[in-house]
Amino acid sequence: MAAPMAGRLAALGRRLAPPARAWLPGLTQVRWSRYGPSYLEPEVNKEVYRKPLEGLSEEEKTQRELKTLQPIKATASNVTSSVFSDPTISKFTNMMMKGGNKVLARSIVTQTLEAIKRKQIEKYHQASEEERESIECNPYVIFHQALKNCQPIIGLCNIQKGGKTYQVPSPLKDNRKRFLAMKWLITECREHKHHRTFMHEKLSQELLQAFNNEGPVIKRKHDMHKMAEANRAYAHYRWW
Amino acid sequence: MANRGQWELQLAEPADTADVTKYKEQIDWTLRLIYTTTAVQKRNVAASGPEKYTEAFIKNQIEEFNLGKRHLANMMGEDPETFTQEDIDKAIAYLFPSGLFEKRARPIMKHPTEIFPKQRAIQWGEDHRPFHFLFYTGKQSLYSLMHEMYGKLLDIQKYQDHLRAQGLLAENRKQINLIGSRWLIKEELEEMLVEKLSDHDYLMCIQLLERLVTLPCCGIEEEYVLKFRKELAIQLKKVMIEPLQYDEQGVAFSTGEGKRKTSRATAVVYDNGSGKITVNRVDYLCYFPVMQDREQLMFPFQFLDRLGIHDMVCTVSGGGRSSQAGAIRLASARALCSFITENEVEFMRQAGLLTADPRIRERKKPGQEGARRKFTWKKR
Repeated sequence: MAAPMAGRLAALGRRLAPPARAWLPGLTQVRWSRYGPSYLEPEVNKEVYRKPLEGLSEEEKTQRELKTLQPIKATASNVTSSVFSDPTISKFTNMMMKGGNKVLARSIVTQTLEAIKRKQIEKYHQASEEERESIECNPYVIFHQALKNCQPIIGLCNIQKGGKTYQVPSPLKDNRKRFLAMKWLITECREHKHHRTFMHEKLSQELLQAFNNEGPVIKRKHDMHKMAEANRAYAHYRWW
Repeated sequence: MANRGQWELQLAEPADTADVTKYKEQIDWTLRLIYTTTAVQKRNVAASGPEKYTEAFIKNQIEEFNLGKRHLANMMGEDPETFTQEDIDKAIAYLFPSGLFEKRARPIMKHPTEIFPKQRAIQWGEDHRPFHFLFYTGKQSLYSLMHEMYGKLLDIQKYQDHLRAQGLLAENRKQINLIGSRWLIKEELEEMLVEKLSDHDYLMCIQLLERLVTLPCCGIEEEYVLKFRKELAIQLKKVMIEPLQYDEQGVAFSTGEGKRKTSRATAVVYDNGSGKITVNRVDYLCYFPVMQDREQLMFPFQFLDRLGIHDMVCTVSGGGRSSQAGAIRLASARALCSFITENEVEFMRQAGLLTADPRIRERKKPGQEGARRKFTWKKR
């Protein structure tokens, strides 16, 4: 009990302490924020606040006590506590957005989800009794599963050694995997789309294909994995 | 050495005045100083460092301040015994009105400890030998502090070994409660030691303290460690909760103000309503055609499960559609604080509804095209 609490407090102290590296003349701090370093991220989920006090463990109690003493940042404009706001969908909308036109991006995403729902319901009504149970109609579930299927497990990174640049297989962080999946999906839809097809129609097609582990985005993921497998010999070039 | 005095050539006295012609070729001249300026006698001013104030001087200043305070009180017709610093400030502002924009350039009359920076007394005795054994390290207070802290660490370890030998270590664990306080920041530590610290020195101190705190029996040195901790105020206390007001029909209502970027909004939340929202005398469905803005308006109500209970009338000006929605969200959250319990206010604060978003548009810098975008790089 003592060691983890002390560790957490040490983390708090480290967060409050100045950076370990002293000011270097070549490196100016560009990543600054209008909030101070002690501001915490807001917790919007209502279920967290509905938990009774007795049902919490020691750790959670200390967490709550610490939270009462720290200032909290303001919530972003695309986040609400309602069941309809989804962080993955928000991230996807932001990546679809061009030139700050959030209205258009959000309308495309909502139309995509509607299109997925319509297609699945049509399939449901046309299917026999046994198949009906296996058909998934919730567009959010399909979206999340499709993105999960598109995420690569291993990535390649460029390492320069002896004048040549090698593609070395390396593990990817979670954020990077999610980003790559969304990026591949969006570029695939933008490039390989007939100019008379709507974006939401093409997107819904791609998402349904990815949900069933087929389609060009899954193929791209497999290509990445094959490249990593082929360059296995260079794996020792990575030093981290 | 700058030669700013007036020098004159003077003939040295010849040994034999009778034979001047004989010694004509052997005349030697000497230079004699007849007049000097103060510039020659004063050493290099810049290298001497900040002016050192002696204790007697500071004491003198404090006496003068206290006397001056009583004179000022008499002048203003107030009682000299109960003349506070605020009264002094008001009196000085009245007697010496200044139109200067820089507040720090205006005339002030404060206690000398606030005006003269805290300095250390002379660190060596009359025989020019320093008092402290670590004087020649240059940072004597810092190193003596670290030395003391490490000594305490060793004491705690010795005590632990002693308990372990007796087999009583498991029961006698005493930890220091560090919740509700934070370590002193570098400026506060500098003030405590009256010595300049570097980032690295400060980090070393804090790391040693954290190491001390991780020991199981650190409770014996609790008051020493707490000297380096500062209490954190409970954030909820800073949130202002207005009391409910009642209009002619007896309906309870509450007002709140909010801002975001350049938008300013005021919201009046009424009880016994049906969830109707009016913005600038227009229905919210017409004023905010975008779904995202309407979600932001609903956010505080939905968080508290009070969607169909309250009515809202708000006015907003300035900014764009998103910042106006954010301003109304903050205003309605603040107004709702009057209707709910303290626990719910704390939940709203932790959800980020009661913080004014400080983010503003970053200014454009010279030499760049925008705030971050640089001009196209050209090789030549």
